[in-house]
Amino acid sequence: MKLALLALRNLARNRRRTAISLAVVATGTAALLLTAGFMAFSFEGLSEAMIHGGLGHLEIALGSASAGRTATLERSPAEGLDDWEVVQRQVEALPGVLAASPTVHVAGMVSTASGTSAAFLGVAGDPARERRMGFSVKLRQGDPVPDAPPREGEDRVMIAQGLAQALGVGPGSRVTLLAVDLEGMLNALDVTVAGLITTGVQELDTRYLRLSLGSAQRLLGTTRVSNLLVTLDRTSRTEEALASVRSVLAGHQPPLAVVPWTERAPFYAQVEALYVGIFWFLGTIVFALVVLATSNTLTMTVMERFRELGTLRALGTSVWQVAGLIGLEAVWLGLIGGVVGDVLGAGLIGLLNAIGITMPPPPGAVDPIELRVVFVPEAFGGAILLMLTVLALAAVAPVLRVARLRIVDALTHT
Amino acid sequence: MTAPPVFDARGLSKRFHMGQATVEALRGVDLQVSAGEVLVVAGPSGSGKSTLLHLLGTLDEPDAGALTIDGTPASSMGEAERTAFRRIRLGFVFQTFNLLPVLSAQENVELPLWLAGVSSGERRRRAHEALAEVGLGARRGHRPDQLSGGERQRVAIARALVHRPLAVLADEPTGNLDSGTAAEVMELLMSLNRAHGTVFVIATHDAALIARAPRRVALHDGRVASDERKASA
Ligand SMILES: Nc1ncnc2c1ncn2[C@@H]1O[C@H](COP(=O)(O)OP(=O)(O)OP(=O)(O)O)[C@@H](O)[C@H]1O
Ligand SMILES: [Mg+2]
Repeated sequence: MKLALLALRNLARNRRRTAISLAVVATGTAALLLTAGFMAFSFEGLSEAMIHGGLGHLEIALGSASAGRTATLERSPAEGLDDWEVVQRQVEALPGVLAASPTVHVAGMVSTASGTSAAFLGVAGDPARERRMGFSVKLRQGDPVPDAPPREGEDRVMIAQGLAQALGVGPGSRVTLLAVDLEGMLNALDVTVAGLITTGVQELDTRYLRLSLGSAQRLLGTTRVSNLLVTLDRTSRTEEALASVRSVLAGHQPPLAVVPWTERAPFYAQVEALYVGIFWFLGTIVFALVVLATSNTLTMTVMERFRELGTLRALGTSVWQVAGLIGLEAVWLGLIGGVVGDVLGAGLIGLLNAIGITMPPPPGAVDPIELRVVFVPEAFGGAILLMLTVLALAAVAPVLRVARLRIVDALTHT
Repeated sequence: MTAPPVFDARGLSKRFHMGQATVEALRGVDLQVSAGEVLVVAGPSGSGKSTLLHLLGTLDEPDAGALTIDGTPASSMGEAERTAFRRIRLGFVFQTFNLLPVLSAQENVELPLWLAGVSSGERRRRAHEALAEVGLGARRGHRPDQLSGGERQRVAIARALVHRPLAVLADEPTGNLDSGTAAEVMELLMSLNRAHGTVFVIATHDAALIARAPRRVALHDGRVASDERKASA
């Protein structure tokens, strides 16, 4: 006969009330799990979309180019890497690195034979490496730019839908790219439109085009690249890889800057803060509701058992043992309710994922998204701990009531 | 004859305040109870019987007067000491039995031993023995709601005695029982007193019970009106 066992048996006395309390705790737990799972999904989705949409996990750029401008997404090769192939070999030898892929950023004007022109933002990369890194180009029409470096006069580009529309071009059209080269001279390159793509972001689609590294370097008259983008096998290895890449490149002259994606992603900190804020807000509401509901039941329990608690005190049970009896009932409610809530939450997450709900595209995005709720293992343990905290808080008033109980009053209580 | 009294009360007074009104529940009660005695506290309703038992049982404190239990002044004990004193030296029987409904008869009787930290095997053995002594050896596994009123009170008596206390305080122990069962319970208390020498202080209105008691203290308006011993005792 242990106090905890006695508390458990006491819980079984008023089954209806206990069931309601457990339902409140379990529902609160499941609600938190679903919220955490949905947020993790949204956040992971956003992070992975940003990383595989072109950020990579790490950027290696010239220290002077990066200083104070870590969040810059467009880097001119004017401040680029000359010996990038050496750096690439060093970094790709590190564990967990999928690839270190060069990019060249070029901005200029694109015009058609009929005289229509528009500003463009061009990104050139290594197609084979980018595929390995999971950078997907969303081709909507036509063909991709071939992997092999283009021969002179055979340069090809993929134009984002919005830009193609503004220019009135499609696959097979010829356009001219105009840009200022690294010597400061205006340079032109005639290219063929191979295909139409989308970046997934409407705004960017009005300016974006992709070309092969060779074409971009020809247009800019250089063999440099703007930066190297490093992608890892797992996002969770970012910190570890950051340290190892930094140590490998420590002696490089001129100094190189290695910047993680979190520092480069636009609005990353704000989005993270927003999610955390929403989670805390919902969490606080659930917390308050469960505290109120269970505190009320525990107080009723104490009132009903006044005479019994007085008897225990008369028989020589200490104040703290009697208060502990009520406290332990609260602990059981939190524990059982939390475990039931975990099971319920896991079931609901599985169910939602099995049904497969498609949501309309978020603002500014192009494609609809398939809703998924992620299993966040930490949240399952965390939710139970939270519920135990909730119940501990709910037990404060009833336990104090027991601690203040006068034996004689309790014994004569009817 | 020179052993100190188990209870030695001198001028015990207790007042209750109900709003403006003050009730003098006890007005200077003197009472000495020696080892092995069975004592009935009689008196009309409101005469202070329960209040006196509460004070003797260290469940409440007097406003005036002194109480010594087995040589220890009650006023010298703190809350924790009084709790420990009750746990080890006293037993209680209530009019409404006050068994824990979630525990079996056996577990209810084990409770005082558990509080005293007795090992589980020893607990089981002694509770079993105590239940057998009150004639309920066969009903150990029953919960209180599966027992009759008389049986419940026997369980409560076993619980009050299982840890071999110095004294048992019983407030209207037969108040919820029919007269036949009441007589049996009284008989049981007397036989347990003979077997173990435990002091019993019993508050009651029950004339039949009063008649059987070796010593009767009558309270009236919070004062001792009479204190008689049976000639045969
Ligand atoms: N907690 C209390 N608050 C106020 N008055 C009280 C309290 N307890 C007892 N009294 C009063 O003290 C007096 C004595 O009460 P007590 O319960 O000791 O009487 P009693 O002899 O046990 O009566 P009964 O035979 O009805 O049980 C009564 O007038 C009662 O109303
Ligand atoms: Mg009374």
